[in-house]
Amino acid sequence: MSQEMSHTGPLLKLDNVGISFGGLRAVDQLDFAVEKGHIVGLIGPNGAGKTTVFNMITGVYKPTDGAILWKDRDIGALPPYKVAQCGILRTFQTIRLFSGMTVLENVLAGQHMQTRQAWWASLLSTPGQRREERDLRERCMAILDRLNLADVAHEPATSLPYGVQRRVELARTLAASPELLILDEPAAGLNDQESAELNTQIREIRDSGVTILLVEHDMNVVMNVTDRIVVINFGRKIAEGEPLSVRNDPQVIEAYLGSDEDEDVA
Amino acid sequence: MKEQIYRWAGPSLWVLGLGVPFALSANWISILALFAIYAVVALSQDIVLGRAGMFDMGHAVYFGVGAYTTAILNVTYGWPIFWTMIPAIIAAALVGGILAAPLVKLRGDYLLVATIGVSQIFHLAMVNNTAGVTGGPDGIFGVGVPSIFGHQLISQGNEYLVDWGLLGIVLLLMKNLEHSRLGRVFRYLKEDELAATTLGVNARYYKILAFALGAGIAGAAGTLFASQLAVVSPGAFVFTESVTLFAIVLVGGQASIPGVLLGTVLMFVVPQVFRELAQYRYFAFGIGMIVVMVVRPQGIWPRRRRMG
Ligand SMILES: Nc1ncnc2c1ncn2[C@@H]1O[C@H](COP(=O)(O)OP(=O)(O)OP(=O)(O)O)[C@@H](O)[C@H]1O
Ligand SMILES: [Mg+2]
Repeated sequence: MSQEMSHTGPLLKLDNVGISFGGLRAVDQLDFAVEKGHIVGLIGPNGAGKTTVFNMITGVYKPTDGAILWKDRDIGALPPYKVAQCGILRTFQTIRLFSGMTVLENVLAGQHMQTRQAWWASLLSTPGQRREERDLRERCMAILDRLNLADVAHEPATSLPYGVQRRVELARTLAASPELLILDEPAAGLNDQESAELNTQIREIRDSGVTILLVEHDMNVVMNVTDRIVVINFGRKIAEGEPLSVRNDPQVIEAYLGSDEDEDVA
Repeated sequence: MKEQIYRWAGPSLWVLGLGVPFALSANWISILALFAIYAVVALSQDIVLGRAGMFDMGHAVYFGVGAYTTAILNVTYGWPIFWTMIPAIIAAALVGGILAAPLVKLRGDYLLVATIGVSQIFHLAMVNNTAGVTGGPDGIFGVGVPSIFGHQLISQGNEYLVDWGLLGIVLLLMKNLEHSRLGRVFRYLKEDELAATTLGVNARYYKILAFALGAGIAGAAGTLFASQLAVVSPGAFVFTESVTLFAIVLVGGQASIPGVLLGTVLMFVVPQVFRELAQYRYFAFGIGMIVVMVVRPQGIWPRRRRMG
């Protein structure tokens, strides 16, 4: 899905974005941009609206105000599958694997957009279709290898330990060749070792040319991997900048201490 | 070893089935001919219900559209049976796809109610002869038999072989579906539609496609059904037929080819064999269905977990 080559500004730009659920203003007047090649962290206390922002970017929710610009084009009204076709792919805060399907079958889902076979070729199992299936499996196995999941390729995905399921979801998302990868609390539920591995993986993914936007409560991950941080509270942006400056911002400390949520920040 | 058995058991059974006209009585031939036809319809219901996960409670309608298309074209316009199969498939697929277009965004239970409505409307339209070409409550009589190269396949055995042939083709298509993008997409949509769409799956397109595909295959079975019975009437496509098809998939095993075939045997063949037991058989079935759903909700012969 290569877009116009002339594009120079930020990859993704939120312009005065807001959304209401009935009377609740979940996100309000939110502006921020994600530069190509960066890892941007979106942080804030529980219920701040982080997941809602991700849902708006990926087309799951339609913003009630403002614009979401992807390479200068407003994608705010696109359905999720078209957002995915733009190259914006995500994981979920609560893992959403296809249950009853193997790890490999889950990761094959990520390759949906890279697959060409027509529906009738699927039914007739044409030689071209079979060749494509073989190639697909090889590509997916390579991705599984990269994330140390090759051993469990044929296991039912949802029977695996939590940390492994997180990795499977990441593998599935990577299989879709994202340009912008959106991760909603990728370290949630991971032990220290897994969390450290995740840090490395996230940097490797960025180094392979993928821009990353992530929500994370684990300050170890946030401070270590992000180039830039956006902080929101009650749906509004309260700070933005480099990790160190954000960490020492009085408003940020206040928001976290005030909500008693995350002692790592203080 | 076990893999090998699993792999060859199905095709061997099918080949064995080719010998039925030479080995069994006329009564058995006609029972197994109907089994083949209903198995095709049940497999097509499984595409929509078991694989794509949509509660389609009106599947007998598509079967009926195919049967009526064949009956009208053959009796009124003199088309050969085999030629009517193409318009029968197209008509059923169109009806399935067009009805599905506004319905597929409904959640499971609402879709179920909507498809029940479809099924009632179809029955009423056929009984009242709304279109003027379906013969009302008595239906259409005198549907002919298929012919190959000018030879009419007049014997019961030959007709059976045609039915068995269609079953073979559909089984092959279902097998292919298992190892294909289309088959996987259906299952992704069933398991988690949101996750699937955020990976680029156009849910609406594939759901309509599932309906059209399931309906088209049911339509093909309708052609052979019309020719097999020589008569097409509204009674064969009533709501309870749709319910039975629905139950076959759930009781047999969703997205499981052997499960759906076994379900068809239990729900269609066994009642034919024990015909003299009249209503008692439905009583036994009712209890059987309840027991299976409680004790084995995944069906009698569920889909195998491990896949290549
Ligand atoms: N579909 C919805 N309908 C109504 N309210 C919603 C909906 N989605 C989110 N909200 C509300 O919007 C607010 C922000 O929720 P959101 O899930 O975005 O927070 P979050 O920052 O991701 O929190 P957490 O750290 O707990 O994941 C909450 O008050 C939540 O109840
Ligand atoms: Mg959240």
